[in-house]
Amino acid sequence: MSSSIGSECTDLKQKYDTCFNKWYSEKFLKGDTTPECEDLFKDYKACVMVALKEKQIDTLLADARKESPFPPPSSSSNSEA
Amino acid sequence: MKLFKSVHMYDYPWSLVSAANWQKYPNEHCPHVYAVDVLDRRVEPDTGVLITERLITVKQNVPTIILKLMGTGHTQYVREISRIDPKSKTLTMDSINLTLSSYMSVAETIEYTEHPSAPGKTQFTQQAAISAGTKLSRWASLVEDFSAKRFQQNADIGREGFNQVLQRFVVRAEASAAHQAQAASS
Repeated sequence: MSSSIGSECTDLKQKYDTCFNKWYSEKFLKGDTTPECEDLFKDYKACVMVALKEKQIDTLLADARKESPFPPPSSSSNSEA
Repeated sequence: MKLFKSVHMYDYPWSLVSAANWQKYPNEHCPHVYAVDVLDRRVEPDTGVLITERLITVKQNVPTIILKLMGTGHTQYVREISRIDPKSKTLTMDSINLTLSSYMSVAETIEYTEHPSAPGKTQFTQQAAISAGTKLSRWASLVEDFSAKRFQQNADIGREGFNQVLQRFVVRAEASAAHQAQAASS
C-alpha cells in the first residue's frame, strides 16, 4: 500500500485504505453507496492536514481549491464527454 | 504548449480496473510516486457518482538547470480529482501540478471506460497539456520540452506498472474466491 505524505499518517492511511478498498468492491460497485469508512477517514485526514500545514502545502491547496472547488459544482453543469 | 494523447486497452473488465486503480501505487515501475493521500471523498447523492480528491507526492530527479530556473527541489505535488460512475462504467481523473504553478502547468485527464467493442476489456485514454508560462521567458521552450519528455516516460512506466498491478489483482481475487468456495463447502 502506498505511503502518506506524513510518515506518521501512513498507518492510519493504510487502515482507511483497507476499509475503502473492501467497500469499493463489495458495496459501491454492487450498487450500495452507504458510506462505511467515515471514522477511519476522519482520523487519517486529521493527520494529513497537519502534515500539509507543516510542509506549507495547505496554502497551495487552498488556492487550487478556489479555482477548482471540491466537491465540484453540480454535475448537471458539466457535459459528459 | 505541448499536447499529449494516448489510447490503450487493458485486457480486464472495467470494474476490476477501477478497483485496481486505487491500488496502483506503490509499484516497482513507478518509484517516482512517493506518496498518495486522499484529501476528500464522497458519493454525490443525486448521481451516485464517487468523487475523490487526492494529493500525489512525486520525487523524481530533475536536471540542475531546471531546478535552478524555478528555485525548486526534486519533490513536486499534484492534485487529482476523480469521478467514478458505476452505472455508465466510467472513471475520469483530472490532475494538475500544485507546485510550480506560477511557472508552468501540466494538466492531465485520464479516462477508463468499458471498451466500446469488447465489454470484458477496458479502454484507457490519457491526455495532457503542458505549457510553460512567461515567467520562464526564453527558457520556456526548454522546460516544456523536458516536461513533455518526462511526461511520456512516466506515462510509459505508468502503464507497465498498472499492468503488473492488474495481474496481481486478478491472482489475489481468484485466490480469495477459491478460499471462500473452500470455506463454504467445508
